Amino acid sequence: MSLFIESKKLKRTGYLPAYLAGGFLAAAFPVVNMLVRPENFTSLSGNPIDILMSANWQMIAMLNILISICGACMMYHTEYADNAMQKMSVLPIRQGKMFFGKFIISALVLSAMVVIEMVAFIGCAKYWFPNYAFDLIETLKITGFQIVVTLPTVMLMLVIASACKNMWVSLGIGVILVFTLSILPQDNAVLSLFPFASPYQILFEAMENSRAALFLIVCGIETVVFGIAELIYLKARRCFE
Amino acid sequence: MSYLSLIGVELKKIRRSKIFLILLIPIIMMWIPGIINVDMNFDLRGIPITPENNFFIQGFMGMVWFMIPASLVICTVLLNQTERSNKGILKMLSLPVSTTKLCLAKFTVLLILAAVQMILSIGAYYICAAIVTHTQDYNFILGPLYVCKNVCNIYAAAVPMAAVYWAVSTVIQSPIFSVGIGLASIVPSVLMINTKIWFAYPMSYPFYLIMVAYGRAAEGVYETQIAWLPWLPVAIGITILALTVSCVRFGASERR
Repeated sequence: MSLFIESKKLKRTGYLPAYLAGGFLAAAFPVVNMLVRPENFTSLSGNPIDILMSANWQMIAMLNILISICGACMMYHTEYADNAMQKMSVLPIRQGKMFFGKFIISALVLSAMVVIEMVAFIGCAKYWFPNYAFDLIETLKITGFQIVVTLPTVMLMLVIASACKNMWVSLGIGVILVFTLSILPQDNAVLSLFPFASPYQILFEAMENSRAALFLIVCGIETVVFGIAELIYLKARRCFE
Repeated sequence: MSYLSLIGVELKKIRRSKIFLILLIPIIMMWIPGIINVDMNFDLRGIPITPENNFFIQGFMGMVWFMIPASLVICTVLLNQTERSNKGILKMLSLPVSTTKLCLAKFTVLLILAAVQMILSIGAYYICAAIVTHTQDYNFILGPLYVCKNVCNIYAAAVPMAAVYWAVSTVIQSPIFSVGIGLASIVPSVLMINTKIWFAYPMSYPFYLIMVAYGRAAEGVYETQIAWLPWLPVAIGITILALTVSCVRFGASERR
């Protein structure tokens, strides 16, 4: 029910087209990269998907984060812009339920975006790497991993957006977090577990350092913790408004 | 209303917007890793650059390629959205004020905010350079003429980008698209800088200038001469085109 209402609210904001456009733009990176300088990559040895991901994932992950920030800001901007939030809080609807409805939608569109990007990677691998053999389980594993490591960022961004009435403040905080975690050293194991830093991780690199399980567990916990924090925040905010 | 008083009005509107904090925090953030990892400036890995130049350029690099465009996008959101709530823009448009003037006044405020960010970053640079000079017993402070010249160049190069973002935000009503296009356009600027048509992509101009400054400070890293010829006319053309589009389209959806 709440999912249906939430998706209806987003109908005329251009939410879904924006995510799809972001996904296709991100998918264009490996294609353009291969078109411009294929010899840089085809000469490398190793799994084609791994080569393509290590060459392009940094930018794609950044794009995913930025689009998620925009999406989260937009979701709450529609609520705050014309005081819809006040009307929502009068209705017999739990605020928390609304939040999780928004989170599920964001997670779904994020997954759609990652799937588009994976399709692009597979297409590039098939076209430019003749010895590439498609492996469904492997692909699903990579897709799942990349989605899970991005989830804490999506959740935290929704929490920030729900806390700030003005769109530029939540957008500003999100952009500052992206910036801060992108200039901090990337090879630090603890820092890379933070939201806004974890999406840059790639499955095969995490597996080489045998950190894949660690990432999945920590990112899962982070997501749940931010969700609980939002519920507590909603309860606390009622006392001050 | 005169142009100057319109700018005054616009500045008053954003007085309580916390934009100052949003501009200030990333500038503080950008120097923290610089202070912590200051000894890396002495490990130059064969690049012929002095540690003080390295400190300056590495510090500004992150800001120039990401934070300047991103804060311009945030400022355009601020300038547009403060008036959307409670239909303030409708009241502004019903006043006997030329919309072109109003649009240009808002764009000037955008440039003022960018200038504030630049001044803050110069201040932050000197504070941090003084700190690391003290802790490392090595003079990291560069001459104010060199620093100001570089920062002013970067600022001037950010003007076409600001005009493009401003045009995007006035033409496209849905904030998710205007913000999304703005933020997404930052990501490929690192790729564009290495192509032959970088001058057609305004988001890469400030990054190009800091790379030229890097090339001048360290022989052989990048070009040492700014390629003025295709760049300057293209940049001016883009700026004028973007400003014309934004002036024509400003308030068009409200006037409908």
